[in-house]
Amino acid sequence: MGKVFGFLKIYREKEREDSLSASLKRVILGIALIAAAAFLLALYVVIQKERIEYTKRESESVLKTLSNNIFSEIKNYTEISRIIMTEDRLVNFLRADGVAVDIGMINDARYGIMDILNVKEGVDCVMVFREDMIMVATNRFTYKYDYERMNNEEWRKDIYEGKGKAVVSLHSNGIAEKLDNKPMVTIGRAVYDIDSQQRTGLMLMNISTIVFDRILGKLGYGDICIMGKDGSFLSGNRDYMQFFDEKFFSEKIYSIDTVFDKEKVLVSGCGVSDLPIVIIKVSPYDKEGIPFRMVYVLLGLLIVFFVLAFYVGWFIRKNITDPVFELSESMESNRQLGELKKIDLNMRYSELDMLKGDYNNMIDHVNELIATLIEKEKVLQKSEMRVLQEQIKPHFLYNSLETIGFLAMDAGADKVHDALETLGRFYRNFLSKGGREIPLSREVMIVQDYLALQKLRYGDIISDEYDIDPATENCIVPKLILQPLVENSIYHGIRLKGEEGTIRVSSKMVDGKLNITVRDTGVGMSRQQIDMILSAETDSEVSQSDSFGLWGTIQRVRIYTGKRDVVTIDSEVGEYTEVTFVL
Amino acid sequence: MNRKYRVMIIDDEESARRLMRAAIKWDLMNMEVVGEAASGIEAINIIDELRPDIAFVDISMPFMDGIEFTETATERYPNLVIIIMTAIDKFEYARKCVSLPVFDYMLKPMVREEIEQVLEKVKKKLDAEPDYWETVKKEADIVPESFYASTDTDQIIKYLEENFTDSKLNLASLAQHFGFSASYLSRKFKADTGKKFIEYLTDLRMKKAVKIAESGVKMYRAAAEVGIPDPNYFSRCFKKYTGVSYSDYVAGKVG
Repeated sequence: MGKVFGFLKIYREKEREDSLSASLKRVILGIALIAAAAFLLALYVVIQKERIEYTKRESESVLKTLSNNIFSEIKNYTEISRIIMTEDRLVNFLRADGVAVDIGMINDARYGIMDILNVKEGVDCVMVFREDMIMVATNRFTYKYDYERMNNEEWRKDIYEGKGKAVVSLHSNGIAEKLDNKPMVTIGRAVYDIDSQQRTGLMLMNISTIVFDRILGKLGYGDICIMGKDGSFLSGNRDYMQFFDEKFFSEKIYSIDTVFDKEKVLVSGCGVSDLPIVIIKVSPYDKEGIPFRMVYVLLGLLIVFFVLAFYVGWFIRKNITDPVFELSESMESNRQLGELKKIDLNMRYSELDMLKGDYNNMIDHVNELIATLIEKEKVLQKSEMRVLQEQIKPHFLYNSLETIGFLAMDAGADKVHDALETLGRFYRNFLSKGGREIPLSREVMIVQDYLALQKLRYGDIISDEYDIDPATENCIVPKLILQPLVENSIYHGIRLKGEEGTIRVSSKMVDGKLNITVRDTGVGMSRQQIDMILSAETDSEVSQSDSFGLWGTIQRVRIYTGKRDVVTIDSEVGEYTEVTFVL
Repeated sequence: MNRKYRVMIIDDEESARRLMRAAIKWDLMNMEVVGEAASGIEAINIIDELRPDIAFVDISMPFMDGIEFTETATERYPNLVIIIMTAIDKFEYARKCVSLPVFDYMLKPMVREEIEQVLEKVKKKLDAEPDYWETVKKEADIVPESFYASTDTDQIIKYLEENFTDSKLNLASLAQHFGFSASYLSRKFKADTGKKFIEYLTDLRMKKAVKIAESGVKMYRAAAEVGIPDPNYFSRCFKKYTGVSYSDYVAGKVG
């Protein structure tokens, strides 16, 4: 039994694997996972994009600022160069005839220039050439001059074409080199006489790169490299020189993604106005680009979604699947109890209430059907009983008995009359209707009549004794509990033995309980037989030869009393059998 | 008071009546069986003649069953000891009539031992009472005849002629109707008509029966019409009156 129940339980649980609540759980979990994955993906994409955009924007703004700064700084120096051009002593130097130029004049011019230069730092050297190439320089000795190139017209061409406007170039246009090979930005200008508007010379102004260092320092930019368009280093981070490219020459900012120092970086660069200067910025994609507000909003949405998903799950479970389980369990327990009771559960939702109502209606209907069936069965049984009784026709039997009795008496056969009278009384008691219970005294009477009749047949081997305690005579017992025992004693006890035997029927009260004993001195019963009769559950286990009547009587008494231990069988094979009912 | 008690057996089974008569040692009990009836109808007709102290009544009888008879008898003969006999299948029916002053119920088939036990009880009861029939007779004796003279026998005869089809009509019921004692009525009736009351009533019925027979009506219908719905008893009465059986009479007349 336990096994069967265990199996049922497993079966039921397995059944629940496919249940609504389980699939619901899976669906909600799945939705949550997918949502989380989608969220992460979106987050990643957005962050990446934002970081790039941010870094680009940041780079652009830095480059623009820097570019503007450099441009205005150079402009400042251009202004200074203009002022220098109008300095009297320099003008004198330039106007003087070739022969009139002496060392004094040159020095005057130098001082004149230097006076102006005192206004602003950063100018490394100013060189002014007369048309006859006599020159004056403020910082003559830290440069090495390339006279050959100087005498060539080539380096002056651009400047002359500028017609007096400032032309920015690099490294003194190649005619002079700083002794420590320091890079210079050079502003060149053709000098015209104010009065005659004749070109009188040419001026080069070398601006030290310290100017750029200062700008960078002032702005706080550490990830910048300022270079000349010829690829020479001017200022900033020398390591970034490797990114130098002509693509950066344009004033428009150009950006590339690349790897620097094993880190993904954005390299942006542009030319500064029309100056021969390129600025390059290298920006790592750092956390500063993460749009945290958006992340928080997304995260908030995700949480809201999760909460909603779990709420829906909880709601369905609480309001649909759990009540369905309850309903199902209620029905199941109904089934196991084997009763068809209505379910008394409070269902909060009308659909489930409907289900419950339908179930209860069905139970009602089934009960009605069963009641009808039972009623039909009863009627059928009653009619069958009537038919049976009709067949027995006691009236006919009794009248016949009386008629035959009279005939016997009339013929002087008084013994026959006696026997018929006993038979009549036996059947009268035996077939009596009304109640399955009778007083013990009447039951004993049945046995006495029965044995009296049996003794007519087996009078030579059967004798009977009775020891009925008067206190027990009125005890109510189930009808016909003694007669089958006595019959059993005759057919399965005494007759088999083939010698004279005694059947003794006795009754007494023991501890307030009625003990009725039938004892015969027949062949007795083996322990096996006794156990079989006491334990057999169905009549198929008891064959006709094995005291069917005894078994049936025991079953009847058990059903009558509702207890199993109402009988004891005591026997010794070959000696006796004693059956005792305790009621 | 050591008179013999008179016993009447009413049972439609002849063998049952005969067995009872034969099996019980009536003499030893100082009793005698004074008569039998095969139906309630017959019993009603002859009970006044038999004057029984004890009546064994079978419940299931045709035409008038034991219950109906008992109802009638207890009304007319309050001292009569009635013992109902019934087979088990009619026992419940008999118990419905438990309101009737029946002395005892006995189950069929009868067992001598049980009958004798009941009779012992009956004897004790009767021993303690005066003889009913004798008392009635004595009462009739002390009433002066002139007191009843107001009721003419002609009146009684007229009543009989009007009521003889009532199957329950007998001396006792007539006496009750006119307010006489049955015993007085019996003597007066015989003195005035020269016939016993029951003979007169039966003759009256038979005269009518003969008339009916002449029209070829079936016996059972004739029996019912003249107030003896038990055709067996009717048939005996008819033969006694005419000397031939009803069917022969009908055959002779019609043929």
